[in-house]
Formats: sequence, C-alpha cells, structure tokens
Amino acid sequence: MTPITRVLVANRGEIALRIIRACHEEGLEAVAVYSVADRLSPHVRASDLAVEIGPAAPSESYLRIDRLLDVARETGAQAVHPGYGFLAERAAFAEAVEAAGLVWIGPPSTAIRAMGDKTEARRRMRAAGVPVVPGADAPITEIAVALALASEMGYPVMVKATAGGGGKGMRVVHAPDELAPALATAASEALKAFGDPGVYIEKFIERPRHVEIQVLADATRTVHLGERECSVQRRHQKVVEEAPSVAVDAALRARMGAAAVAAAAAVGYRSAGTCEFLLAADGSFYFLEMNTRIQVEHPVTELVYGVDLVREQLRIACGLPMTVPDGVLVPNGWAVECRITSEDPANGFMPSTGHLEFLRVPAGPGVRWDSGFEVGNDVTLHYDSMVAKLIVWGRDRDDALRRIVRALDELVIVGVATNQGFQRRLVTDPAFAAGDIDIQFLDRRPDLAAAPPSEALTRAAAIAAALAEDAARRARKPAIAASDDDHSAWLAAARAEGRR
Amino acid sequence: MKYFVELAGRQFEVEIEAAGVRVDGELVPAALEPLPGTPLQQLRLGDRTLVFAVESTARGEWVLAYRGERWEAAVVDERTRHVRSLTGEGRQKVGAGEVKAPMPGLVLRVLVVPGQQVDAGQGVVVLEAMKMENQIKAPAAGVVEAIHVEQGRAVEKGQVLVVLAPSEPPGGGAGVA
Repeated sequence: MTPITRVLVANRGEIALRIIRACHEEGLEAVAVYSVADRLSPHVRASDLAVEIGPAAPSESYLRIDRLLDVARETGAQAVHPGYGFLAERAAFAEAVEAAGLVWIGPPSTAIRAMGDKTEARRRMRAAGVPVVPGADAPITEIAVALALASEMGYPVMVKATAGGGGKGMRVVHAPDELAPALATAASEALKAFGDPGVYIEKFIERPRHVEIQVLADATRTVHLGERECSVQRRHQKVVEEAPSVAVDAALRARMGAAAVAAAAAVGYRSAGTCEFLLAADGSFYFLEMNTRIQVEHPVTELVYGVDLVREQLRIACGLPMTVPDGVLVPNGWAVECRITSEDPANGFMPSTGHLEFLRVPAGPGVRWDSGFEVGNDVTLHYDSMVAKLIVWGRDRDDALRRIVRALDELVIVGVATNQGFQRRLVTDPAFAAGDIDIQFLDRRPDLAAAPPSEALTRAAAIAAALAEDAARRARKPAIAASDDDHSAWLAAARAEGRR
Repeated sequence: MKYFVELAGRQFEVEIEAAGVRVDGELVPAALEPLPGTPLQQLRLGDRTLVFAVESTARGEWVLAYRGERWEAAVVDERTRHVRSLTGEGRQKVGAGEVKAPMPGLVLRVLVVPGQQVDAGQGVVVLEAMKMENQIKAPAAGVVEAIHVEQGRAVEKGQVLVVLAPSEPPGGGAGVA
C-alpha cells in the first residue's frame, strides 16, 4: 500500500472542516471539494487543495461518485473520507473507492451493506446475540400463536401493520384478554389504510431513551467508547446530545458496550461506528441500527474520553493501531452538545435563510464550536439547516449545563433566525435538567418552542427601540431634533410622519 | 422627546431625557451606542449592559434581537401620534397585509378560500421546502382578499401567497392604539 499523505474530504460544512483539521493534526494534506454555492465556505479555505465539483444541488455535486473519484485521481489523494450524510453510508461509493485503488476511511463496504439492509441487520444481530426489539416480523394468522408470543416477550406489546406506517393499524395491548380484539381492529384499520390486513406484534417499550454506543475498531481490536444520550429529538432529528447518559451506570455501560462490540464484530467492522439502541426504563436495551460512519454528535464522546475520533479513523485507515488504551475506559466529566439550526421555533421551526451578517462565537473554558459557517456566508436551502454544533465540557452534568447556558448567552447570530432561544429554554428546563427525558420528550413539550421573554427584557427592548429611533432621527434631521420649539418644522415633520 | 413604542403587542411610553429614559414614570439612566462595524448596539440601562442586534426595516420600524429572542417594534413620537389621531392616518397594517413565502418552495395545499375570515396564526398555505412541510401562517387576523398561488406551484422567497384585508376598520384611526 502506498502511504497516505493526502486525503480527499468528500463532504461540506462543519464535518468537512472537522476532517481537514484532523488531517492537518495528523500531518496529512486535505483536498476539499465544493459546489458553486459553497465556494466561499470555510472548508474551502482550510484545505490544501480545493476543487469545484458542480452546481449547488447535491445530486450534481456532493453525490457525484464519478466526479469525486476524478478529483481524487487528479489531486493525487490516496484516501477518501466521506464524513456523514451524502455518500457516507452508500456501499457503492465505498466499493468504487476501493476499486479505484484508494483507501476508504470508514468500514469495509461489506459492513456498510450488511448494516444498511435493516431487516438483514436485525437477523444478523439476533444471531450475534445482540438484543433487538422482540417480536415476529411475520404476520399473525392464529390468535393462539399471538398469545404465546406475547406472554413470552411480556406485556405490554404493540400490534403493528406489516404494510404499516403513520400510526395506522397500531395498538398497544396491556393484557392477554385485550389481544384478540386489538388484532381484529388493527387488521381492519390496516386493510382500510394499506389494502393489506397483515398485522404482527412486538414488544412495546414505554417511553424509551435513544442511547447509542460509539465503537472504534482497528485491525486487531474493537473497543467501545461508552454511550451518548440522544433522546431529545424533534421529527427524528437530534436536538441535544450528551455523554455520558444519566440512565447508564458502569454495569449497564459494560453490557451495552459489549453488545455494540459484538454487533461490530459480526459484520467485520473497522473504523468508527455507532450502534443505536432503545433503552427502556428497566435497563433493557434493544438494537435499532448501526451508523457505519462518523456521527454528527461525535464530539461529546471525544470530550469525555479524551479521544479524537476522526484522527483515530485516519490512523486506522493508514494501517496504524488506534491510540485508545486497552481495558475499561471511564468517561471523565460530562459533555453536552446543542445543535444550532437555522430554524425559527417561534414560527413552527420553519427553515430560515439569510446572509450571516454577524457572528460572535462563544469562547472561554470548556467550549467547542464546530461550524461550517463564518460571517459573510449565506445560509441557503440547498443543504441541511445545521449552522453549528455548540459543545461544552463540565466536571459533571450540572456543571456542563451551566456552562452551555453561559455559552448560549455569549452566542450572537445576526442575519438568520435560529433555534438559539429554544435551546436555552430546553437546557434550563427543570425536567431536562433532572435528566427526565425520553424520545417523546419534545412531543410533550411544545411550550419550549416559544416562551415570552421576561418583562424586564421586553422593556429593555422597547427602550432600545426608542433610543435607536431617536438616534436615527437626529442623524436624519439634526436641526429639527436639536430645536424642539421650532413649531413649523416639527409640524411639517409630524405631518410627514402621519402620511407615511 | 417622548416616544410610543409598540412591541410584543404592548405599548410602552419612553421619554428620552438628558439623564436617561423615563418609562412608566420611572427615570432610568440609559444610553444606546452602536458597536462600530457590527449590526449590534450596546444598551446601558442603569448598571446593566445588554447587546441587541438592531435593524431598521422602515422609518419608525425596528427589529431587535437578543440571545435568539426577536421583537418587531414600531416607534412614533407624541406629535406624530397626535396628528395621526386627528387625521385618521396611520399605520393600518393591523389585520391587513400580504402573506409572503419565507423561502422558495412548492405549494402543497392552499388552506383558505377568498372571503374567509382567518385568525392570527392560522395556516393559510402549506409549502414544501427542504423535503419538509411548512405551514405558512397569517400574521394577524383578517379576511382573505386574494390568493395568488395554487397547489403545485413553485414559489420564490418573498413571493406573495395570500392577501389579507383587515377584518374590521381600525378603530379611531390611531394605528398605535
């Protein structure tokens, strides 16, 4: 293998910049690619070489496998880092990179493929002894079979339509005598909604948490780097992530970690990956899926384990052993990440666009800011709405939460509406602060989207508006403002005002 | 100089004096100073310092932001208010106006018909952008005067979707009341 000296970063935004930084710290050169819309983005400036790959639309730029391989060839890059999103979990891209004689900075394409087929992944995980949500994927034809299955997995159980989605044909069943009627109702609903009366049952997990385990594998070892708690989600988009989780103690961490390592080993995993689990209140957990790439929220793990996951990915791709020590790893302190998005919570989280006129990035102890935007950049609708990740470290959870409030208060973004105020309300919410969260948390709390600012602040805003107006008038008409008794002049001004 | 500030659905009387501002009869030392080269202005209010992003959208109309909170403010002086109350002129925007597309997108559904009475915050059009459905809402109560789009139409940012007329004539002509 030719040694890797130059890496193609096949992505944009904050993750492209993140990877370029890691390359430079590893002594590698980074090649950036960019669409026309991104020509002024920070990742372009941060790179050693940057190549335009097409128009704004991802299908004509960041998703063009042929174009990306051409760039790798033209620039002499020996390896490709896909980041997250775009082509990161496209096995065909990993295969094309491998076929071109380049190094894919990620898991083998076979592992991507195995985990990409969710039904197949479930089967393989079950075979590897990784817990999955118990249930029968096959339609229920006999009530006796359903009763036996339900008593085996334990109530409550969920009746679901095989053709299902959107809550149609779904029923929660708490006791055996409710099962037969629920199956009948669900089947008739499913028939009406999907034209298929097929229903199946699975274990119903009440108010589960979304807890995921970070995995890292080199040629000889597969280790886990503990959990991330990502229960606070809106429309399946994570909003706040933290590491560790209030719901996970050392014993549970060891069990979940072992399951994640087994899952990775079952598909011959290499590089960084994440196993997502549902965690029930009783400590039982169930494999959801494996993300075969670096994840958006990876920094919280980095902060509590003192590991640079992207640099480890680069090392592993270069054939070097990871630097993570052997043995049980213990998280140090607490890390919290808020995703700052260009969505306006006061307006139904509508995506907002604009020109970033001003940006003051929070700083000070324990604060990290990962962003693909700088002042002067446009926030457009071409790509996702994440403007930045604000990440803090604290010695414990309370400390980290106080710090992220402090950092959110330092943040100033002018030019585009963001969820900054919403994030502040969220991280200061008593239920959130108590760690009382699950994946339905935000569904129960629409009140967090908008709350009237305090009386004192509203008054201050009114005073600022009056002073700004006064200053503007003085600048416009110094003579009038200066002489309040000039009767005719002020009357003319007043009339002009009145006619506006 | 005394100003009337309409903000967050409320009205504040702010009298600017040499020593500061008088609000609700209480005198507070206050000064506003721009931070050069930024859209920010630093407000000193008593011993407190707050930094607002301040933007003028039209004469007497301001948008302020502080830590992610945002306000729209209309500021008039006493004389203007008086003249308006006499002439019946003034801002008659309450309950009227154009509902514009806040972003480019595709019209999925039009939720209202001409002549329909809508409440403030009621959805009028569903716009698809970024593969998400976004309900565009009426900024204030009113009556649908015109609909400028139909289902399936692609629209640009700022394009007028629906025109609303005030549901009843503004009372007294004083837009600030």
